[in-house]
Amino acid sequence: MKMPPFKLHMPTSIDEAIEIAKQMHSKEEEFDWVAGGTDLLPNYKWHLNSKKNVISLAKISQLTELSKTHIGAMVRLQDLADSELTHPVLAKSANSIASIMIRRSGTVGGNICLDTRCYWYNQTEDWRESIEWCHKCDCGTGADCRVIPNQNTLCVATYQADLAPVLMCMGARVHLISISGKREMLLNDFFELDGMKKNKLLPGELLTHITIPKETLQWEGDYQKLRQRESWDFPEAGVAVLWKKEGEKLKQLRVATTGLESIPGYHEDISSELVKDWNGNESIKILSEQIRKAVKPVQNTWYTPSYRRKMVKVLTKRACKGLLGE
Amino acid sequence: MTKKEKKEMVGYRQQPGKISFSRPGSGGKSPFSEARDEEMIPESQGGKKEQPWGDHKHDKLITGRIVGKPTSLVDSKWKVTGRAKYGDDIRLPNELIGKIVRSPHHYARVLSIDLSKALELPGVVSIATGDDASNKFGVLPVTKDEHAMAVERVRHIGDLVACVAAEDEATALEAVRLINVEYEVLESIHDMKDGLKDSKDPIHDRGEYHIGEANVQKRVFQEFGNIESMQENAVVSHKNNWFFNGVNHAATEPHAVVADWDPSGRLTLYTPQQVPHYVHRALADVLEIPMHQINVHRTFVGGGFGGKSDPFPHEMCASILARKSGRPVRITFDREEVYWINRGRHPSHIEMNLHADKQGRLCGIETDALIDGGAFASFGHVTTYYNGVLHTAPYEIGAFHYTGARVWTNKPASGAMRGHGAVNSRCAVEVGIDDLSEKLQVDPISFRLANLLPPNSATITGFRVTSIGMRECLERVMKESGWKDKFRKMPLGHGIGIGCGFFISGSGLPIHWDPNKFPHATVHLKIDMDGGVTVHTGAADIGQGSDTVVAQSVAEVLGLPLDMIRIKSRETDTSPVDLGSYSSRVTFMNANAAISAAMKIREDLLNATSEITDAPVEKLVIGDRRIFRKDDPAVGVSYLESLHKAQEERGALVASGAYRTPPMGRAHKGAAAGLAPAYSFSAYVAEVKVDVETGQTKVEKVWAAHDCGKALNPLAVKGQIIGSCHMGMGQVLSEEMRYGRTGNLMNTDLLDYKIPSIHEMPEVTPIIVESNDPEGPFGAKEAGEGPLLPILPAVCNAVYDAIGVRSNELPITPDRLYRDIEKKCRELKIDDPTDLPSPRLEISELQDILEKRADQHSIRDRERRLKSDIKPYHNGALFGMDPTIPPDEVDESWRVTVIPSKEYLEKPRLAGSAWLHTERRKRGE
Repeated sequence: MKMPPFKLHMPTSIDEAIEIAKQMHSKEEEFDWVAGGTDLLPNYKWHLNSKKNVISLAKISQLTELSKTHIGAMVRLQDLADSELTHPVLAKSANSIASIMIRRSGTVGGNICLDTRCYWYNQTEDWRESIEWCHKCDCGTGADCRVIPNQNTLCVATYQADLAPVLMCMGARVHLISISGKREMLLNDFFELDGMKKNKLLPGELLTHITIPKETLQWEGDYQKLRQRESWDFPEAGVAVLWKKEGEKLKQLRVATTGLESIPGYHEDISSELVKDWNGNESIKILSEQIRKAVKPVQNTWYTPSYRRKMVKVLTKRACKGLLGE
Repeated sequence: MTKKEKKEMVGYRQQPGKISFSRPGSGGKSPFSEARDEEMIPESQGGKKEQPWGDHKHDKLITGRIVGKPTSLVDSKWKVTGRAKYGDDIRLPNELIGKIVRSPHHYARVLSIDLSKALELPGVVSIATGDDASNKFGVLPVTKDEHAMAVERVRHIGDLVACVAAEDEATALEAVRLINVEYEVLESIHDMKDGLKDSKDPIHDRGEYHIGEANVQKRVFQEFGNIESMQENAVVSHKNNWFFNGVNHAATEPHAVVADWDPSGRLTLYTPQQVPHYVHRALADVLEIPMHQINVHRTFVGGGFGGKSDPFPHEMCASILARKSGRPVRITFDREEVYWINRGRHPSHIEMNLHADKQGRLCGIETDALIDGGAFASFGHVTTYYNGVLHTAPYEIGAFHYTGARVWTNKPASGAMRGHGAVNSRCAVEVGIDDLSEKLQVDPISFRLANLLPPNSATITGFRVTSIGMRECLERVMKESGWKDKFRKMPLGHGIGIGCGFFISGSGLPIHWDPNKFPHATVHLKIDMDGGVTVHTGAADIGQGSDTVVAQSVAEVLGLPLDMIRIKSRETDTSPVDLGSYSSRVTFMNANAAISAAMKIREDLLNATSEITDAPVEKLVIGDRRIFRKDDPAVGVSYLESLHKAQEERGALVASGAYRTPPMGRAHKGAAAGLAPAYSFSAYVAEVKVDVETGQTKVEKVWAAHDCGKALNPLAVKGQIIGSCHMGMGQVLSEEMRYGRTGNLMNTDLLDYKIPSIHEMPEVTPIIVESNDPEGPFGAKEAGEGPLLPILPAVCNAVYDAIGVRSNELPITPDRLYRDIEKKCRELKIDDPTDLPSPRLEISELQDILEKRADQHSIRDRERRLKSDIKPYHNGALFGMDPTIPPDEVDESWRVTVIPSKEYLEKPRLAGSAWLHTERRKRGE
């Protein structure tokens, strides 16, 4: 497996990184950001949309800041999982990602911006040639989607990262920077329904950090994940549930899912409706069923879509266990 | 003596007595030899080691030092310090990197190959295509159907078309891209059931032996025993249609090879091979040079498991490129290429039918196995037989009906993988016995204990079984797992299950020659003045510890520490011909050859000692680097003194020892398949937890008893047992070669090919049972493959015990199991799977009958293993036949048939339908 050659840039500050990006832009040269490299480099080895230039964020210390409400993009996943400052549900989801070796290298920003995955895409070049390529990496052929043939607009590759659903429930905001300046938005608004576009990042734009509102730090919840093995495997489905109680009374409830579509799903419309007349087990049952109905996985990962949907129901139910106060 | 006189004495010949030679030491690092450990000397030799399974012909060779002690492998330090050189670690000066052009089509005719652009690329040194090597090769002489590179057509995605040697990898890859191949795509076959039908373009053409116009590579029909009464005698029957997905060995080390033509015009091929001898032969065929001009150098092997036992096309490619370019060529596979070369376990449709009579006897087994061979034959001829004949024992049965067929499809070739051909049908039969026992309302362990063949008996297919430790394996796992308190007694989601295994300890027939004309294994020893023993053997250490076992055997016989033994097993130039590491033959055959060579040296040493001490040879014994009188240990000499005496007339001592199997087996077509000089037995109990809401299965504990005859190295045996559990767990729970909608293999990488991680690994309690095989080296049998078999059915049966659901497709991934759970819920009209009933067992009266029979058999078995004058015992005695004669020779209702009857062909089973075709030569065309 030979990686295509690329030029590696190693800026030491955000400004310098943006400056390099600016130069690339003016020369009309394509590049990728690389954080921990655990997602990008395997894809490069498979010659998946590799670029001639790669800008590494590893030397930018500004990006590694970690507090209760501020998580730098370059915070390593294992550091997030181990930190006492991390919300326990976020720590749980971080601690379930891949394997410990990957968590020590992989980063928060990298996980949020994880490339979408698909059986027909995450393959070697020879393999993809044998299916005459696919929509996501068509090698100039205009190839069709291999999961759902005869549709050539959206890519249905699956978003299989663990942090996003928890952070969405926490109301986290993402902070971006590019040559045209800084901007920020709710993580819920960050993703874009297309396995190729994935999110709102503009070419050359960089995710610098995440902020978490103080309020949700006190919330309780759980993250449940489905996968074949307890290590390495990407989530086949993941459900984060966070809630706020006042005394015995449930005040707020948020649910988000991952591993089921090309973007994570945020389902507050479903959960907030149920909070009004919350009725313990009964409501959990309705919630689980509605979440099952809300997600639409396709056949492009290890498990079948129908199984993944059924399991979303089980995972939601299990993630809500803490609500029963037993 | 004056100075002048001293000077004059200097001469060519030293005068005895003038200069005193120092006495030789004992040899070895410690100057003093240690006393014999009486606890390790067998009772039969006057020692204290108890022999509940009787004495052994090798008892007198036991020096009480090495054999039976947990020993770290002799090459382990090389591996843990990173000094071991595996295939890709070989770096020769001036090497080129080879890359392979592979087919992007499932099945296609190669119309043209345009090399022009690639040849113009600077750095490209040579390119080869199918035109450079037109001779066929293959691991079995009867089915040579492979070429180095495509000749006329490609047969699966990843099939080899051409290869390139260039100055570096990037250039080679670029050249591969520049080679333009024009194909005519042919209609491909993916479903093995389609392989049974006539085809416009069969994947291979077998000439006059071609079966119909179909893609049937091999078909087998066998009937033994009392077929007619099988069903009428049955009070309960079991039927299950299984599908086993294919699995790959997934060895840590991908295939890698370096070929080098030296200045004298000889080829050296460096390759991590399990069977250097077959590559040696195949290279001679393909390259058209005599075998003596080829040296196959086996590097360290980073795991084989059967995946490195064929001669491979990439080995031919490297050799061809090296010959063309005059420079060494190295080819290392990417993981994906390992899947293209495959040779993994066959995807299989297996129909299993079992019948039991009212006395709780297995009155019949009917098996139909359709196996997917992929694009080439590989070992498939044998696999087709093994799917049948290896699952009758260890049971005494009334009838056995087997139909098997192997078909070609446009997939990477299946082949031999740990437990070759025996794993899937074993799983099916052991799960079937669990079901039969449930229907008979008896404990499945009791059922097995009451239906076992005794030691020194013959199976229904005529295999000669010598030692059997099956009963002890079952009793040990039952006791240690707390079986009686758990089986059918645990709450929903918790289960326990039993499975057994039976495997060959070496294949009885060498595939390239008559066993009477050439031995299976040969070992050479050489000892010079230093006392160190050089052992030349062709056995391939693939991590299983064959170097260690040979070293141990020689060291034990000669009373030497292991560090005095030097194993040279790498090169065919120096090692005697050996059949290599497959079919679990090495310990049995190679250690026997090593012992016989060491016995010759031992005789020399005893004679020399006798000359020095005047003690009669019969009175002498060998201890740690010392040979002495047994009745007066003070009289004796050191090993080196004895050695130097023995060397007086000859110089270095050399000896050759060989092993061949004794004549055995019956005469019907296919009788040789599955014959082995000994068989291993095993019984595992697995305890699992099943999440009924998700279908996820976690194996929590395994009690694994394996009868390896005698554990020469208990550490290695335990390692094999635990490793087998891991590998089998993969096949039963998560590993599969998954083919997608388009027929493409979807998971050609180790992220999506789901090998269990450390988290999935249960706590395994290995239990070694030593049945003391009469012909095995010091009583030993195999422990490398047999231990894999029982884990699959044990887990399947435990899942049933936990939730009352029987799967019929492996691996039992959570989505598949959940589908079955849902089905069960629908049947029982249950909404919530957590309300499923947990299986319970109401014991019937038969249980008592079985227990009594098992007790009687236990006594019978003890007598048969300890007495020397026992009568023959043929399968059938349990059904009232005369045990001393094969029943088919005296009773017409018992039979041996290998051709299907007209009646059968009116309603054949799936694989059996392969017999509807007629071979071309018999069609009179």
